[in-house]
Amino acid sequence: MKILVCLKQVPHKDARLDIAGHGTWIDDANLKFEINDYDNYALEAALRIKDAGEAEVIVATIGPDRVVQSLRTALGMGADRAVHVKDEALEGSDSLGVAKSLAAIAAQESPDLILTGLMSDDANYGLTGPMLAELSGLPHATGIVSCEHAGESITVERELEGGALEVVELPLPALVTVQTGMNEVRYASLKGIMQAKKKPLETKSVADLGLQASDVAPKVTIEKIYMPPKGEGAEILQGSAAEVSQQLVTKIKELGLL
Amino acid sequence: MSKTLIVAELQNGAPREAALELITQARGLGGELVSLVIGSGVAEAAEDLAKRGGGRVLAADDAALADYTSGAYAQAIRRALDQESPDLLLLSNTPIGWDLAGKLAAALDAGVATDVVRIEQEGDDLVFIKRMFNAKLDSRLRVTGSPRIATVQPGACEAYAGSDAGSVESLDVSGCGSRTVFKELRTAAAGGHDLTKADLIISGGRGLQKPENFDSVLKPLVEALGAQMGASRPVVDSGWLPHEYQVGSSGQVVAPKLYMAVGISGAIQHLVGMKNSNFIIAINKDADAPIFEVADLGVVADLFEIVPALTEAVSAAKGG
Repeated sequence: MKILVCLKQVPHKDARLDIAGHGTWIDDANLKFEINDYDNYALEAALRIKDAGEAEVIVATIGPDRVVQSLRTALGMGADRAVHVKDEALEGSDSLGVAKSLAAIAAQESPDLILTGLMSDDANYGLTGPMLAELSGLPHATGIVSCEHAGESITVERELEGGALEVVELPLPALVTVQTGMNEVRYASLKGIMQAKKKPLETKSVADLGLQASDVAPKVTIEKIYMPPKGEGAEILQGSAAEVSQQLVTKIKELGLL
Repeated sequence: MSKTLIVAELQNGAPREAALELITQARGLGGELVSLVIGSGVAEAAEDLAKRGGGRVLAADDAALADYTSGAYAQAIRRALDQESPDLLLLSNTPIGWDLAGKLAAALDAGVATDVVRIEQEGDDLVFIKRMFNAKLDSRLRVTGSPRIATVQPGACEAYAGSDAGSVESLDVSGCGSRTVFKELRTAAAGGHDLTKADLIISGGRGLQKPENFDSVLKPLVEALGAQMGASRPVVDSGWLPHEYQVGSSGQVVAPKLYMAVGISGAIQHLVGMKNSNFIIAINKDADAPIFEVADLGVVADLFEIVPALTEAVSAAKGG
């Protein structure tokens, strides 16, 4: 079985976000980056299928040189090889441009299963997975919290609203996007990190994927990104911890809860 | 004149709130409105929607559409798009909406904006306003495509409350099918921790840093106030507390007399689950955290200083 896991590198969860001078994205000059949380769970799900039997796990990502670090991390966790798509044509690309590039990788690799995160923690579109499925002619399910593999199909639980789950069976090959919390994500072991250095990592351009720059040109452009306008918001209490606590106690008494 | 097609989701056989919100969004843009209702035995729901402002309602009624499957639903929507050629297609940003939007956009080679909170007309063009970075930033998007596609965040606007008379016609959806097979709906194991009836909920987030701190820092306050403990999604995802503690769109939706959010930044999925609380107190060291937008009272400080001090003050107040 061959599994393709599509990863995105995103700013660290706790990174301070500043808007870049051009006003259309954040200033990423001095940011720490990490693997998108949702994608970590997708990678873990793939590695668990590998652990349970015979599977080759390929990780793919798109981005500048810094994303190689995330691919090495994924290889350290247990993925077998990596594909890095690097091309100026993909700077500022939208979900569809990304999905088209990944679809070209999928066409070259013919995986039995494609896994990726439900969405990215930066732009929060949640589109790449279903787009990649459509472009690759695969059935898909989004936001899964469990995955059982049996023979030529997988059975997954999709998370709906309010604690409801939808059980869906998909014939392979298929694509699923993973919700956070699906599993417990492993850390790369020291041994894993050492081995990762010797694992194959290919770098490809858009042309290597049989695409032209115009194929991946964005249909969605960010005109402006900005701090959300502050509403009235909360009344912020001032003072020492003891003073603030007294004010809170007064409020809790007013509410009749103390 | 522009034309908008909305996909109106149903719940228990009737248009759900999010569907009526799409009507508000579409009517705000003017032009022609067509609504699509998909399912099996949906004639009544289609009539209902037509009376509640849905405009011309297309009923995609077929046994094969009884349960949601991405393949069959996408085909039904494609039939409606072929027939109507709208300029804009709106879906709700729900598990159905996010399953379908990308699939349709890729099939039509069209641009799509998801989780949109507002759509503005600017000259001949539309601007889509969307939250990014888990609601820490907002963005203005331009989208090209025929149609342009967007999913709208539930609760972002009021549900349409007018009662304009519309019409219903049936859409031929024979032969729609899917390779994905719907098996069943399940309810996640309920557990014994029902927060929906609590008067006072104190929820902890990632700001508590490690699971032990729920016991050593948060629990004394919870017990001093006779409150119930809740948690944000990252806490549950990390396995620090079971799912039954989760407040949010995928956990429990609560509205207590007092909700206290401790070390929770306020991702949309959490806010949806608690913003209707009678009174909200937020404690977070990041002054820009979105939680302060929905809170009534805020404390911008280190929770590891405030929470023990508050616990002490509560105990003193009870003793006095």
